[in-house]
Formats: sequence, structure tokens, C-alpha cells
Amino acid sequence: MSGESASALQRSQVDLLDFVDWSGVECLNQSGSHSLPNALKQGYREDEGLNLESDADEQLLINIPFLQVIKLHSIVIKGPEEEGPKTVKLFANRSTNLHSNVNDFPPSDTAVLSEDNLKGKPVIVKYVKFQNVRSLTIFIEDNQSGSDITKVQKIVLCGTTVETTDMKGLKKIEDH
Amino acid sequence: MRNGDYSPNRFQAQADAVNLICGAKTQSNPENTVGVLTMAGKGVRVLVTPTSDLGKILACMHAAPEQTPGACAPLSLGARLSKTPRLGGYEARGPAPCLEIGGEMNLAAGIQVAQLALKHRQNKKQQQRIIVFAGSPVKYDKKVLELIGRKLKKNSVALDIVSFGEEDEEKNEKLEALLAAVNNNDSSHIVHVPSGPSALSDVLISTAIFTGDGEGGSGFAAAAAASGFEFGVDPNLDPELALALRVSMEEERARQEAAAKKAAEEASKQEKGEQQSTSQDATMTENVNPGTSEPEKKTHDLTDDENALLQQALAMSMDDSSSTVAVRDTDMSDASADDHDLQLDRFILPHQLPVDLFMVVEALCCLLENQTLYEHRSRLAIPLQLSVQESAAEQSNQTDVNKLLADQSFVSSILTSLPGVDPNDPHVKDLLASMQSQSEQSKEEDKTPKEEENKSSILYTVLRGVQAGGACNGI
Repeated sequence: MSGESASALQRSQVDLLDFVDWSGVECLNQSGSHSLPNALKQGYREDEGLNLESDADEQLLINIPFLQVIKLHSIVIKGPEEEGPKTVKLFANRSTNLHSNVNDFPPSDTAVLSEDNLKGKPVIVKYVKFQNVRSLTIFIEDNQSGSDITKVQKIVLCGTTVETTDMKGLKKIEDH
Repeated sequence: MRNGDYSPNRFQAQADAVNLICGAKTQSNPENTVGVLTMAGKGVRVLVTPTSDLGKILACMHAAPEQTPGACAPLSLGARLSKTPRLGGYEARGPAPCLEIGGEMNLAAGIQVAQLALKHRQNKKQQQRIIVFAGSPVKYDKKVLELIGRKLKKNSVALDIVSFGEEDEEKNEKLEALLAAVNNNDSSHIVHVPSGPSALSDVLISTAIFTGDGEGGSGFAAAAAASGFEFGVDPNLDPELALALRVSMEEERARQEAAAKKAAEEASKQEKGEQQSTSQDATMTENVNPGTSEPEKKTHDLTDDENALLQQALAMSMDDSSSTVAVRDTDMSDASADDHDLQLDRFILPHQLPVDLFMVVEALCCLLENQTLYEHRSRLAIPLQLSVQESAAEQSNQTDVNKLLADQSFVSSILTSLPGVDPNDPHVKDLLASMQSQSEQSKEEDKTPKEEENKSSILYTVLRGVQAGGACNGI
């Protein structure tokens, strides 16, 4: 896994956590006590005890807007073997989703997670479809074991920003 | 829905509750939006798409009768971060001149349409809430309802249920199951309102449905509802309105009694007239002087200028025609010593005169006082409005009015009393002459619309004449 992250860094991908617009982050069908920050936020997601869990059924709809335009390279979704997500659909720039109309539009990308992925192996997305992303919608359709509750332990988004004005820290930003 | 087990009947109780909730929600947060849809009858129909305009919502609740059967009052509200649609499951028709009553409510379809309406809200940051007024029995399975509830929860729509009307065990069970399926952190509530003397609205005010949304709801409810004030209006906050409401209530009562007595009054017309003239003199000079029983009711709490006006005007219009003229002439001469402005004010608010006479007399008064019509009206705006509304519906008083207008002496006496008008002014003289001839003609005719037109035209010519006269005299 460190090899993977090293290669990600080599390609100057960064963790897009800093560019998430927290005021607009939404998650539908999450359980009250186990909510999205558990999987997304810096400190919480490292804690294996804190999960994002679904509520009424096994589907989850997560909407993440960004502070600036980004290109998405890959994602990491970690979860338990049994209740971790299986089919994950990604939508770029569709922030008006409800569970009911999430299937009206073809996703920008679909990923079926394997056990390795659940342990932290990143899923490389179709980069060409994620060149100009203002907001990302993650739809978790079902989980590994088909149980009623889906648990997600960690979500990491890797990519680059489009504008080069962000000089925060010493992060390398990809030059054209 | 026409059952009387909720006062006055189920539909009315529901409509009141709906209006109250709409008001509370729109007031509690300026970004809230509310919509209404009906569930019963032919099918689900959205009456009002979510809007923050309370007037539109109230108007649709009182809309003209339509033939589509079935009506509900679901409302959508949106708070600072929320928008809630509400469903009302009732049918409406019958006495209420707005919605048709009939059929059974279709809860599942109604909720789904409401959810759709919420989905297409303009401000996506609003939270979604549905309020259901479930008066009819619920014909869906528990399973179906639970499915719907889960779907609502998945899409983070909260649901409030007001269960009233038909009571059967299944209905309660089903609604409870629905609520359990939707409920997420206690954002959804259910209220069972059994039939009884207290109004549906009152019961709702104290529940979480009102207060659940936060501060504003309860404040509004406390102020507007049965907080101990008559007519639901606080005299401290809005004295004019409270006064006007009280007066019009009394006069409505008096009018009804008078109408009942009218048949018996034929024989004793003259006596009554004299008695009333006495009382009118009393009121004219602003003494509280209990005369006959009828005027007594009207004068019993006169303290105000406006009260005196209203009461006296009411007494005037209650008079029988034959005594009217004599009485008024007497009053005019008596009052000539009074302040002219005040006297004319007294004629400003005759409830049951039609709007024509109203406006003309009002304009005359304004001329004298050198006010603009606007200032004058705003001073007397509220009582005026109430009076106009009542008079618009009032047909029986046309007789009085026509007699009044036809009486040339009356009008001329008005004119002479105007300080700025010189009776010898050629304009005025012409007017009086023309009026006299017209009124003589029309006295012989029966009441016809044409006659009324003549009256109106008389008035307008009078007005113009007065204006001209006034201009001549440099007013």
C-alpha cells in the first residue's frame, strides 16, 4: 500500500481532502450515529472503530463539493470485509441527486470493489471523465455480503487541482 | 368530512389548522416555503406549489368551488435549511366555497407527489418535511406504508402526521408504523386528535408539529391563537383591528336581531322611529344615552369617536324608510351647531351603504379637511374595510339607500352644511335642481338597476359640483 501511495505521490497526486467544501457535503441514508465525517475527515477515518453506516437500507449517496476545480485520479474506499461496499458509482458534477433519480443518468465511472480495494488499494478511475470536477457524487449501491447495512471506514480521494493558485503548504502541484 | 365531531365540521377544522400551520411556518423563517396538495377524490392534485407567500396559500384554501372532487391540504414548508411539504388527507366540498369533499384519501400517492414537489424545490438547501392531515381511513397495507416511510428517510424527508376524523385501530397502527419507518432522530412526529369540543388548531398548537421547527413557530402560535384574547387579536398590539372586529361582531349580532324583529315592526314603525331619533341625537352629541333596546345594544360601550360613528351609522341604516328622512333632517339641523368636520365624519362609515355613497361622502369630507383621500382613508382604513366588505354583500339595505339618495332634501342639507359650499352658487343650484327632478322621477319607479345608476350619477355630479364650488371659493 505504501508503494501505491508513493507512486501516487510521484505523479504529484494529492489527497483532495483539503479541497473539500465541507459546507456542502451531504450523505443520504446515513445512520445518525455513524455519519460521513467518520469516513472522510482526517482524524476520524484513520480510526478503524469509526464507520460510516447506512440506515434504512444498504445504499448510500454521498455528495462532495470542492472548493475549486479538480481532476480526480483515484479513490480509496476502505471497509470491513462483509459489509463493505461492493458496487460504487461515481458521478462528476451532479449535485442534485436523490436516491430516486440516481439511476437516471449513466455514472461517470463504476467500480466494483474487491477485497483488496477494501483493504486500501486505490481504484483508478477513468481519468478522462474527471478532468473538470466541481463536485463528486459517490453512490454505493450494495455491499459485499448483501446485508442491510453498509459500512465504510475510510474514503480517500486522490487527484490534482486545476488552478495553480493554491500555494497552501508545500504540496507539489502538477504542471502542464 | 362534514361531521360535526370537530367544530364546526371536520373540513373547517382542518382548514383552520392548515392555515394556522402555514402562517406559523412562513413566519418562523423568511426562507420557508409552503405548498398544499390534496389527496382524495379523483386524484392527487397540487393546489399551491411551495411558496413563501402566505396570501397565495390562504387564497387557494378559499378558492372558488371547482368540480374536481377531493381536496387535501398538504403543505410544504421550508425553514432556513428546510422545506416541508405537507399533505392533508381530507376531502372538501359543501358549504366551504373552495374545495370539493368526496372520496377517500390516497395516502401513498399523496406522499409521493409531495416528495416530488419537494425534490423540485428551488432552494436545494432547504430541508424537506411533509405534514399529513389524515382524516379518512387508510386503505394501504402497513408494508406499503413502511416502504414509503423508508424511502422518505433515505431521502431525508421528515414527516408529520395529524391523525383525526375516522378512528379505527388499524389506522393508528398503520400511521405509527409509517412514522417509525420515517423517523430519523425524532424529526418526525405524529399527533392523534380525538373528536371533542376543542378545536383541531388549538390542539395542534401545543404539539411538536408547531414547536418542533423551533422558536418562531411557537411565538406566532401563541400570539395568534387562543391565548385568551377575543378574536385572537391582541388589543395591545393592534387596537384598531381588535376594536373593529369587536364592533363588527356586535353589529352583526344586532343586525340579525333587527332582521328578525323587522317583521314585527310594521305596526310600530313611527314609534320606533322617534325613539331611534332620540337615541341618534344622543349619539350625535356623543352622550351615551340608552334609548330603546335596540340602540342600547349598539351604544353600550361607546367610548371612542369611531365607535360613535359606527354605532350611529348602524342605527341609521337600521331605520325604516319613512322615519329615516325625518330623523335625518332633524339630526342635520341639530348638528349644524356641531363641528362640521366631526359631523361629516359620522357619515363616513355607514356600514350598509354601498361603496358609491361611501366614497362620495368620504371625498366630501376630505375636501373639507384638506386631507388627501389617502390620509383620510388610512386613518379609518380598517373599520372602513370591514364595513365595505359587509356592505358589499348586503342587499336588503338597498331600499334604505335608495330612499336616502332619492331624498333631495337630505343631500341638499349635506351640501348646505359644508362650510365651503355656498347654496347660492350657481353650480350647486343647478345640481340641486337636476337632482330634484331625477329623484322625483325615480321615486315613482320601483327599485330597478337603472334607478340605482341614477343615484350613483347624482352622487357623482354632486361631488363634482362640490369640488367646483370649493374651487370657486378658494378651498
